Amino acid sequence: MEFPSVTDDARRPVLEVRGFSLKFSRDADAPNLVDDVSFSVGTGETLCIVGESGCGKSVTSLALMGLLASPPAQRVAGTAHFEGKDLFALSERELADIRGNRLSMIFQEPMTSLNPAFTVGEQIGESIRRHRNVERRQAREEALEMLRLVRIPAPETRLDAYPHQLSGGMRQRVMIAMALANRPRLLIADEPTTALDVTIQAQVLALVKNLQAETGTAMVLITHDLGVVAEVADHVAVMYAGRIVEYGTVADLFDDPQHPYTIGLMGAIPSVGKREGALATIRGSVPSPELMPSGCRFAPRCPFAEQRCIDAAPPDKVIAGVHRVACWLAPVEQVAAPVLREEMA
Amino acid sequence: MTTPTEPTPHAPTPHAQPASQPASHSPAPIIEARSLTKHFGGTRQLFMRTPTVYAVNEVSFAVQAGETFAIVGESGCGKSTLGRLLLRLIDSTDGRVFYQGKDITHEQGAPLRRLRREMQIIFQDPFASLNPGMTVGKIVGEPIALHGLAPDSAGHRERVAQLLRTVGLQPAYANRYPHEFSGGQRQRIGIARALAGEPKLIVGDEPVSALDVSVQAQVINLLETLKQDLGLTLIMVAHDLAVIRHMSDRVAVMYLGEIVELADVDALFDAPLHPYTQALLRAIPASSPHERRAKPALSGDLPSPTAPPAGCRFHTRCPHAKPHCAEVRPVSERLDDGRQVACHFWREIQNAGSGAPLATSVSPKLIERLAIYRERQTALASAGD
Repeated sequence: MEFPSVTDDARRPVLEVRGFSLKFSRDADAPNLVDDVSFSVGTGETLCIVGESGCGKSVTSLALMGLLASPPAQRVAGTAHFEGKDLFALSERELADIRGNRLSMIFQEPMTSLNPAFTVGEQIGESIRRHRNVERRQAREEALEMLRLVRIPAPETRLDAYPHQLSGGMRQRVMIAMALANRPRLLIADEPTTALDVTIQAQVLALVKNLQAETGTAMVLITHDLGVVAEVADHVAVMYAGRIVEYGTVADLFDDPQHPYTIGLMGAIPSVGKREGALATIRGSVPSPELMPSGCRFAPRCPFAEQRCIDAAPPDKVIAGVHRVACWLAPVEQVAAPVLREEMA
Repeated sequence: MTTPTEPTPHAPTPHAQPASQPASHSPAPIIEARSLTKHFGGTRQLFMRTPTVYAVNEVSFAVQAGETFAIVGESGCGKSTLGRLLLRLIDSTDGRVFYQGKDITHEQGAPLRRLRREMQIIFQDPFASLNPGMTVGKIVGEPIALHGLAPDSAGHRERVAQLLRTVGLQPAYANRYPHEFSGGQRQRIGIARALAGEPKLIVGDEPVSALDVSVQAQVINLLETLKQDLGLTLIMVAHDLAVIRHMSDRVAVMYLGEIVELADVDALFDAPLHPYTQALLRAIPASSPHERRAKPALSGDLPSPTAPPAGCRFHTRCPHAKPHCAEVRPVSERLDDGRQVACHFWREIQNAGSGAPLATSVSPKLIERLAIYRERQTALASAGD
């Protein structure tokens, strides 16, 4: 693929994923667990990938980082360009140079992602020294600076603390400090606040937003929490069973949700406003990989599903601007009076 | 709200409905804590004492039959410990627990076992709380056998099947093992097990927080239906404020082992009085991108429960703290509407305009489409019956 010259750098997405498909099987007939996923994120932007367990959001991010063991993971199709380089074409060595440097990741569980045997300062320092030729002392200085940046109280003492001596919120801030130590161009954050209390979550989200504004880091934030999405996203991709079912700006998604899954998801979340009846539910459960529906993957759970939904996967329909939805029937208000299906299986 | 609900004719097992109460303003609460206190540690080990964790400190409140009462707070605030103290799963250091007006603080043996049947718990982690070596039928059936609730083995099997149906599972699942089920299904099994003893009171310790959004909605709706149908009293120990707003009648907010505010759910969310409640509500993420606003973050970290601050425990992080707060512990003040708040200066803070209600907005298109979605789903569900 041709890429424009360096002068167009600012307009070129930091990450551009096209038609990415992945499966965990050599069987050609096995369904793709991530299917034809495309998205991009530009400098200083935040893309949120939303979905429930098993929708493929974490697998996608791990694949991009080159952190999925292959086999069993098999990339079936697609490209992922990061700063113009095809991530899937890089050697393990080239990837290792980018990871933790230009491209960083924050994981959900701060306790298991930090090494319990090394101090916080050593771990942040290591990620600095791995990628840059600096003295141990300077790395320590920089690590201290990072701890200040993520507003850890008494950073001088905390530098020599072990992970178990820190609270969950502080550990997550250490993870962020480590991920940002080399000023990455792109940060992939997988449920970075899910394990945290609400007041700590607010602190961490504000922190990430501020740092992003300062450094222009692009961010792909993976979450199941629509509140977090409303708070930080510029663009949103809703994933269901390995596919992006709806994509748009954050305003598109909240003001004009199109896909029945997006609608069901939004109705299933309790509001902090005054109670209004029972929650909407999405009946059934996520299909297992062996039993992936062949048409629209949401059809068995969708209250609107018709025969064509079961027969064929819907193509993307452009609503307006970047807003697109993969549904034969959207918007649902144009669907005629309820047609009941004979069997509920 | 707090009146006991009559079981509907369609209730799967109409049992344990609270005795019809006279139209009095203060019916005997189903469970009551008086100055309940729990300290962990502080024991001597070889040459040193382990630090004392002041987990729950002089907590008092009463829960009425038929109510959904929420205990909310952040990690380490003592909410789970409090839930276990109420059920006598752990013993208190001080204070007393009353069940239907009777002091059960020191109950032992057979009377305690009887209590255990009437007071059940649903745990947070559906993966850790079910014995992997037991079939679902055995897990759910154990309380039935233990308390002799079925006349014979046929009756036992029928009761297990009935319980599984009640929580929306197929009776045939009785022969399977927990690992064969998803998180949501396991939580349903945990609920069926809790219902097996025909309880009057259920404590849910973060019962939905490990579940995906759509599954969480299913389990929340199930708990609400069961509560209605079986006339249960529900105590929800949780940290998710939206879940609490949705489910509860009254809410107790805990901070470092103490209840700082207790109020009806709408009053609490619309006009929080305690500075900690205000901070907690302010930290809730926006409900739409149009509601984004700067959140004045709560400063500092939670102090260690081994060394809680003197005076008001929140004074080290409170934006309104004055010297007095560091010296004198505030007593919980009871207002006219039954609301309680433990803050020296709540009136001044209220007058200063803190604690504005949360802005929430839902787009008209979502409201319209959600209505169609629900309509469709209801039509499908009735066609499937």
